[in-house]
Amino acid sequence: MSEVIVFFFAAAIILVGAVGVVVARNPVHSALFLVQTLFGVAIIFLIQDANFLAAVQIMVYAGAIVILFLFVIMLLGVDSAEELDVDPIAGQRPLAVVLGAALLGVGLTVVLVAAKGITGARATAGGEHALDNGLSDVERIGRVLFTEYVFAFEATAALLTIAVIGAVVLTRRAAAADMLPDREPASFELPPLAPAIDEEEEH
Amino acid sequence: MSEFLRSYLTVAIFGLVGLALVGAFLGLGRILRPDHPTPQKLESYESGVDPTGDTWSQANIRYYIFALLFVIFDVEAVFIFPWAIRLDAYGAFGLIEMGIFIFILLLGLIYAWRKGVLRWA
Amino acid sequence: MLAALVQAGGSFSRPSVDWHAASPELILLGVGVLITVIDVVWKQRARSLVVGLSSVGLLAALVPVVTLAVDGTPRSMFGGAFVVDDYALIMKAIFLLSAYVVVLMSTNYIAEGDYWENEYYSMLLTSVLGMLLMTSARDLISIFVALELLSIPAYMLATWRKRDLKSNEAGLKYYLMGVFASAIMLYGMSLLYGSAGTTLLTGINKAVSATDKPTAVVTLGVVFVLIGFAFKVSAVPFHTWAPDTYEGAPTPVTAFLSVASKAAGFVGLMNILFVGLIGRSDVYQPLIWILAAASMIVGNTVALRQTNIVRMLAYSSIAHAGYMLAPLAVVSADVVFAGGGSVVVADQALRATVTYLAIYAAANLGAFAVVIAVARKIRTAEIDGYQGLFRYAPGLTVLMTIFLFSLAGIPPLGGWFGKFRVLEALISPGTAWGSTLALLVVVNSVVALYYYGRVAVKMWVEEVPDGDMTPVRVPVSLAAALGLTAVATLAFGVGPGLIGHFTEVSLLAGIGG
Repeated sequence: MSEVIVFFFAAAIILVGAVGVVVARNPVHSALFLVQTLFGVAIIFLIQDANFLAAVQIMVYAGAIVILFLFVIMLLGVDSAEELDVDPIAGQRPLAVVLGAALLGVGLTVVLVAAKGITGARATAGGEHALDNGLSDVERIGRVLFTEYVFAFEATAALLTIAVIGAVVLTRRAAAADMLPDREPASFELPPLAPAIDEEEEH
Repeated sequence: MSEFLRSYLTVAIFGLVGLALVGAFLGLGRILRPDHPTPQKLESYESGVDPTGDTWSQANIRYYIFALLFVIFDVEAVFIFPWAIRLDAYGAFGLIEMGIFIFILLLGLIYAWRKGVLRWA
Repeated sequence: MLAALVQAGGSFSRPSVDWHAASPELILLGVGVLITVIDVVWKQRARSLVVGLSSVGLLAALVPVVTLAVDGTPRSMFGGAFVVDDYALIMKAIFLLSAYVVVLMSTNYIAEGDYWENEYYSMLLTSVLGMLLMTSARDLISIFVALELLSIPAYMLATWRKRDLKSNEAGLKYYLMGVFASAIMLYGMSLLYGSAGTTLLTGINKAVSATDKPTAVVTLGVVFVLIGFAFKVSAVPFHTWAPDTYEGAPTPVTAFLSVASKAAGFVGLMNILFVGLIGRSDVYQPLIWILAAASMIVGNTVALRQTNIVRMLAYSSIAHAGYMLAPLAVVSADVVFAGGGSVVVADQALRATVTYLAIYAAANLGAFAVVIAVARKIRTAEIDGYQGLFRYAPGLTVLMTIFLFSLAGIPPLGGWFGKFRVLEALISPGTAWGSTLALLVVVNSVVALYYYGRVAVKMWVEEVPDGDMTPVRVPVSLAAALGLTAVATLAFGVGPGLIGHFTEVSLLAGIGG
């Protein structure tokens, strides 16, 4: 019973935060509402006995990714006085409301009506697909990382590294030493090379 | 109430007290202080001289790169935690797998370093 | 105390890893790491070494694929999450060979523009690694990680022409729509996991086929997962990113996206469909039918109006995605033998899509290679620039005609066998829906012949604009790419038994189908 109360409390936090992200006029306020939503999700993880995931949620999501959001907002300099009242495409806002309501209706119907009610059973409780009951949740994650998902785990390493490489390529302006002399540009409609600004020496 | 919720009750009370304290101080200040704004008082502060120009200057791209690198290595730390908890159980196999993981990510860091992204000048 | 902790947990037994089965991926990972190390140490001086290394690496990863195919036994690891069987091997071969041709096409293109070179090849190899992982993945998490691993380098490759506004637009549109579709697909995957309790596709098959479970949640999950993959294969109405992305990205990257990335989307879709969701044909059959029909109709109709050859090829690839989706609309779990033979209907559909993918890959890569070659001289992608190509570049004209008519499905070029297999798979179950779709395939092929033929007519018959007859200088690697794809297209058309033999694959071995 008390878990249901905690669940509704966390759900309220999440929903208010989510609505705030969409509705806030200042994008920095949107990012802060996002932090509120992520805190609510962390509480939901705690209810499901996933203590490690709750901590990871705060540490990585609210701690690192929202910071990244804020840096991008500051980089783009989104002016809070931007004209938000006029839709770029006519009727965009009413259509979004209609589609969102339809999606919500479908989801609620599926969960409430067709799923024969909410049983409130915990994912870690017994049953045919109970998770390993002898270990803590961190140990369960570690066990699974090294047995079933070991290839996905190594693929994640490659994924993270390629993200770093790609971000460096996309954001860095090449130093003059990196640029090749302009021979025959092989592509069509290529704009002329801007003069390279001499940044840090590479070698 | 179950054992689990009892242990987090402390955390919840702590959080609520924190919010209440902040709210109380700010609210008390708002109630008690006088509020008579004039145009001169509302100008932004710029070391005593008259403010010129825009209040906003564009952040440099290198802040974004540092934040991105932080996200990547934060996720790496999250993956290392489960291994570190039961280091002995995973033995040599875990060591090799984790070694490959850390090596690949270290390669990303060395790449960023050699391309001059980590320099703050 | 530590001893008590050790005692508390169970003992961990390391999983058995079949190194031979995993060796294509491991080789590719090793080559990718080597390229990054070389880039870090020698930077720009090692450009040519990196190109050579990446092509050698792709061919080296092909060697264990061949040895595994010769060996013939299907291998599975981690309780069936990583499976290497004939289907996975033929798809791995298609990915590796397509990537090799793309590397050949991009050697000069990337070297001569103001592009970052070493990183281009490491991105390409990482994307191919993701595709190889996708072919063997038989559980939801592996499929998702492989999908992200192949998509994220592709998003970045699309913006590789950093100073060009169109390239930025291409990458941004691809990225935004891609992550949105990934999010929807992940939500569907979480619903499927929730109703099954396991991420293994075989476990999900048991759960979705059982009729006592709540079915609406499963239906929603299936729909969302299909939507995610429909974006990846650029099916209508999730195709809006394709024309702008293909037009803005550097042309070798466009070739890679239109062939390899699309094939990878199909691989993921087929894995989930045949191994996981085959029991719920009442949910996915109508959805795939609509996606296939819409893609064919919209792709061909809008391609008629294009004046830019890259956009025309983009819309034509949307139509081809429709042709490839069509056989999947008649797949069901019933063990019905097709046309009195020994092949189950579902297997026949799988073979049709795989065959079509291979033939389409060769022809499409060849067409883009010709576009790159011709653009070296005429500096534009407008179809009008191709007028009179025969007068100063007869070889390229013949090759382009071969590729275009193979895409249209004219014998003796390869495309006819692909279309034949697709029509066979649609007609043999004998259902009305299948036959209607087959009719749509035929009608759309005729419509497509118009815009392929229009380009051919311009090349052969019309006069050269402003009479510039200087020949086109085709560099060696580009010529090699053209040669490989032309030989493949002709071979598939003249001797279809070749490709027919290799694509006799089945995904139903474990399901009792």
